Amino acid sequence: MQLKMYAYKCTCCGELHHPKHYACRKCGARSFEEIDLEGEATVVTYTKVYNLPEGYMKPYLSFGIVKFDNGLTVSGQIEAENLKTGMKVKTSVGVIKEGVGKDYYGFIFRPVDE
Amino acid sequence: MIVDKMEQSLRPVETPMAEYPAKYITLATGEKMVVRQIKREEVPLILEAVKPLMTVEKDFYDIVASRMYSELLGYLRYRVKDEYCLIGTIDGVIVGIVNGRLLDEKVGMSYHTMTLRQGLRIGAQLFAAKMEYHFDFLNQEEVWIVAESPNGFRRWMIEYELESRPEVWHELGGVPTYVLTKALWEKHKAAKCTGRRPVKEELLKTAENPILPSTYAQIPGFVRCEK
Amino acid sequence: MREVGIAGVGHTKFGKWTEGTFVDMLSKAAVEALDDAGIRTVKGHGVDQVFVASMGSGMINRQSGVASALVDTLNLRPAMAETIENGPASGASAVKLGYMAIASGMCNCVLVVGGEMMRVVSGWEGTDFVATMLHPEAEYNYGLTLPAFAGMFTRLYMEKYGVTERDLSIVSVKNHENAVHNPVAHIHVVPSLYAIADDEDAHVINPYVAEPLRMYHVCPVSDGAAAVVLCAMDQADRFAKKPVKIAGIGQATDTHSVAEREVPTDLLAVRLAAQRAYDMAGLKPQDIDVAELHDAFQILEVAESEEVGFFEKGQGHIAARNGETRIGGKIPINTSGGLKAKGHPLGATGVSQIVELVRQLRGEAGGRQVQDAKTGLAVNFGGFGNNVVATILAREEE
Repeated sequence: MQLKMYAYKCTCCGELHHPKHYACRKCGARSFEEIDLEGEATVVTYTKVYNLPEGYMKPYLSFGIVKFDNGLTVSGQIEAENLKTGMKVKTSVGVIKEGVGKDYYGFIFRPVDE
Repeated sequence: MIVDKMEQSLRPVETPMAEYPAKYITLATGEKMVVRQIKREEVPLILEAVKPLMTVEKDFYDIVASRMYSELLGYLRYRVKDEYCLIGTIDGVIVGIVNGRLLDEKVGMSYHTMTLRQGLRIGAQLFAAKMEYHFDFLNQEEVWIVAESPNGFRRWMIEYELESRPEVWHELGGVPTYVLTKALWEKHKAAKCTGRRPVKEELLKTAENPILPSTYAQIPGFVRCEK
Repeated sequence: MREVGIAGVGHTKFGKWTEGTFVDMLSKAAVEALDDAGIRTVKGHGVDQVFVASMGSGMINRQSGVASALVDTLNLRPAMAETIENGPASGASAVKLGYMAIASGMCNCVLVVGGEMMRVVSGWEGTDFVATMLHPEAEYNYGLTLPAFAGMFTRLYMEKYGVTERDLSIVSVKNHENAVHNPVAHIHVVPSLYAIADDEDAHVINPYVAEPLRMYHVCPVSDGAAAVVLCAMDQADRFAKKPVKIAGIGQATDTHSVAEREVPTDLLAVRLAAQRAYDMAGLKPQDIDVAELHDAFQILEVAESEEVGFFEKGQGHIAARNGETRIGGKIPINTSGGLKAKGHPLGATGVSQIVELVRQLRGEAGGRQVQDAKTGLAVNFGGFGNNVVATILAREEE
């Protein structure tokens, strides 16, 4: 079970990455350290999807791309009814997909004022 | 026709039902689909529309068509209690059929949804019209629904978030029952159900003389035998 | 470098394939292309190499080694054969590799066949299959899909440039109108702009797929195959028709995880691929007479028309509104009907775009013909824009 999400920080130049890469996009170095990726973020864009793929028995699910204060942008699920670009969300880690014998964990964002 | 005593004892006692007021929906092509309730004497024509699909195995059309055929036959010849049938027509041509019945005053029993012309969300519109009939015109509290195909399951159970109630057995073979409650209907109605009333006289007149489809997307090369 | 042309084209009717197996479908397109080029399938046929483009034959049709199977089915042995997978850009990638094979001098004649038979699985299994091209941990596992990214991209475009849902419907209707004149297109029914965009029933009959994208802003799921015969221009007289020259090919990649892109409304791989193709062809955007752009989602046609230089960034939807992308307009886009109306069998799409351009440049496009088209551009978009191939064809003057 994974309850934390990470940014991958280049040990050479400090550039942050998510997801993981094997070479730094800025300086090309190849070693990284894991930094907790948590806290508040801002919604860059979002969508509510109605035709979900195999494995999701729900009528719809919302997704977004959010930007953390450290500049990293990531995709994740969003649990909110009234979404807007630019709104603040808080980060949590939860089950994003149920698998056979193994659940998948990832970002689930929720409005800050909830 | 004189109904003899034996026949009388075989027929169900019928509950008076409010009529479904006809409406029309503008489809993506700009064509207007009229949705209306058929009268009992129109059933034979509808049977002819259903019949060719009784041998199409794909997407469970054979089961849906065969069952609908027998349900409508039961309606025609007084062997099903409180049944109704709505049809969708475009320029008079039958493009979809839905049916169901009242289990009692409060509970509806959804039977089948059959699309004869594909690609315009006709099935979804007619299913919504059927639910509209149960809730908004017959003032029912819930409708029991089952799906025979995976497509149906996606469309009804998941999209309407139906409540699972396996402890009650649906008439269609006792397969797992799902329920559309009044609350769920109110939640989803705006996004699923549309159409306008009244239907202009001319449009309604065309719809009242339904024409059998000459082609079926599900049956390539279909030719209707002239009688 | 040795010049390469297209001597023959073939195309199955897109939609639901009911005439047999996956290889049957590929064969049908292949035979049509061979016939078009005047190549007889007998000893000495001269086909040196076969490339098959498919994203999902292994995953959804449970068949691997498809190119080897096709070579044998067509009795083109002992030609060389490989299957190429580059997501929805597999088709253009295979054409590019065919080009490289001939330009290098290793081959004189290459058959490229793209195909996908997707309608063997349900819609949601198909959506899942297509989503496997996304980043596994950062995207796919979340339930994110291609429509989801297209929806998020559309929202940004709307907020930044003022694109409306109605603009997307305008593009959609235009492509459907073109498809009516293309016998191999999947959909020959034309939606009414009023009904899908303006009518009070519109929100129900044209429901959201991934907000703010609606059903008529998204391509259908199709089966289909398309084929082209590539030849060395120095051997053009071997073939029945005068080959159409491949003037330029460009390809570029972008971040796998869409969220990592610096400017989320940019499609950098499209921009770069097109630039490279223009450079190779020695042409500019204004030299192009007809274009096939990858409109899996209608917003992509708008954004790509800007990235390839037809319009300023943020002006694509205005051009569509003004009819500049219709047949007879400034730059006709997706005369074939595009992915929206012609259909989008993933592996076939890139090849199908080339087939359409060849028909246009030969003057064989019938009711959708762009008058005196001499140059054509195709953009085949893989992933959510993380691997894009642009191809320019040119008709040589007599």
